[in-house]
Amino acid sequence: MFPKRFDQARPFLTLGIVLLAWLFVPLAVKSFTRATFFEIQAPLVVADSYVQFLQTFWSNRMHSKDELLQAGQQVAGLIAQYDYSTQQNQQLQAEILRLENLLNLPPMPAFRFEPARVARRDFSGWWQRMVIRKGENYGIPVGAPVVFSGGVVGRVTEVHRYTAVVDLITSPTFRLAATASGDNRPVSYQGGLNDSFKSPRGIVEFVPLDIYATRTATRRLVTSGLGGVFPPGLTIGDITNLESSADGLFKLGEVQLDERLGSLTEVTVLVPLNPEEL
Amino acid sequence: MRRSDPRWLIVFLANLLLWWLTGMANDYLATFSVHLYLGGLLVAYASLQVDRQQGFVALMLTGLMVDSVEPVPFGTSMLLFGVVHATLVYGRQRLPRDGAIFGTIAALFSNLFLFIALSFLLVGANPRPGEAWLRLFVDLLASQVVIIVITPWFLALQSRAMEFAQIHPETGRRLTL
Repeated sequence: MFPKRFDQARPFLTLGIVLLAWLFVPLAVKSFTRATFFEIQAPLVVADSYVQFLQTFWSNRMHSKDELLQAGQQVAGLIAQYDYSTQQNQQLQAEILRLENLLNLPPMPAFRFEPARVARRDFSGWWQRMVIRKGENYGIPVGAPVVFSGGVVGRVTEVHRYTAVVDLITSPTFRLAATASGDNRPVSYQGGLNDSFKSPRGIVEFVPLDIYATRTATRRLVTSGLGGVFPPGLTIGDITNLESSADGLFKLGEVQLDERLGSLTEVTVLVPLNPEEL
Repeated sequence: MRRSDPRWLIVFLANLLLWWLTGMANDYLATFSVHLYLGGLLVAYASLQVDRQQGFVALMLTGLMVDSVEPVPFGTSMLLFGVVHATLVYGRQRLPRDGAIFGTIAALFSNLFLFIALSFLLVGANPRPGEAWLRLFVDLLASQVVIIVITPWFLALQSRAMEFAQIHPETGRRLTL
């Protein structure tokens, strides 16, 4: 029989023993356990997303025929615009191919576009992630870029059987080589400034001294295509201010990100056709 | 003595339900850049009302469940929940643990500890930690308000689940209704 004082401390002793044992558990077992616990919860997350989708479906069915006709006309206009853009795109692709052949350039990275619905958004002060409703079943690889109509959304960090986790560009853990539009020198972008009730922001570092941006004359920040999987030219945000760094060699500043990032319901995963590009 | 003792499972499933509801709330709140963290509430019933070993097992599993969906080293929440559980179990015989009021207070303090511990662990990744603390303060405030509101419901839910299973949460004896 243990003395009473020792008996009271038993919870701490048990905890200590369990944690000591946990340290010696092989990494493979931990990875397997993590994946198992994630997959146990995944149906709940996905079911919740399907219920939301059903809610939207039924609320859309409440619209009158006049409203639907108006919406149809707007969609027809958009389709006409996109048809024209597609033709322009085909011409530009042909031009790129001709120049690549002429100059013996390596081909641009090619992607398959995989649209996916957002199942769950998890935007805290510690991390900014979302779960999408496609995973291994659609060939989504870890590291694949994720985009939407406004530009970059983030990067796939975890892939599960039917879902994948995307680390957003608003997340403090997200870093990317970027360029100011109209310039080809790389700068460093990092997310992480996410004040409550405000649009998300990021920071930009190592900006050359001859680049200027103010709140009234912002400068678009785009992906550079260097040292990563993102194709060049995708919008990240707008540089709203730049100031000299402590050493005076570069500038640093803030980037205003798209406020729609907080309410996305659908994104597109760029799946590289050549997996070695990841 | 019952051959199968489902107390750890009841607590774990209740925690899973709360974690799912919190995730849904956070999905809606993402638009406003506010995030709820209710880790303290997951610990309160298991540590105050349930047998210490059964509560410990339930919280270890809950910790692993939480860690599996968060970008933290696997086992972080398990460790933190374990520390809070051990502390509450150590002192619970000397505390008026019956009723929702003390449960709410315990959940609030547990949540405060867990939130601050996680923040110290993760805030270093932020490019401007000083600004990040302002956001974290708002999140903490919102989380504590939600805990005050829902703790009586969540504790009652777990108590009712134990009654439904006809088992006393602390002794494990069969209850006759």
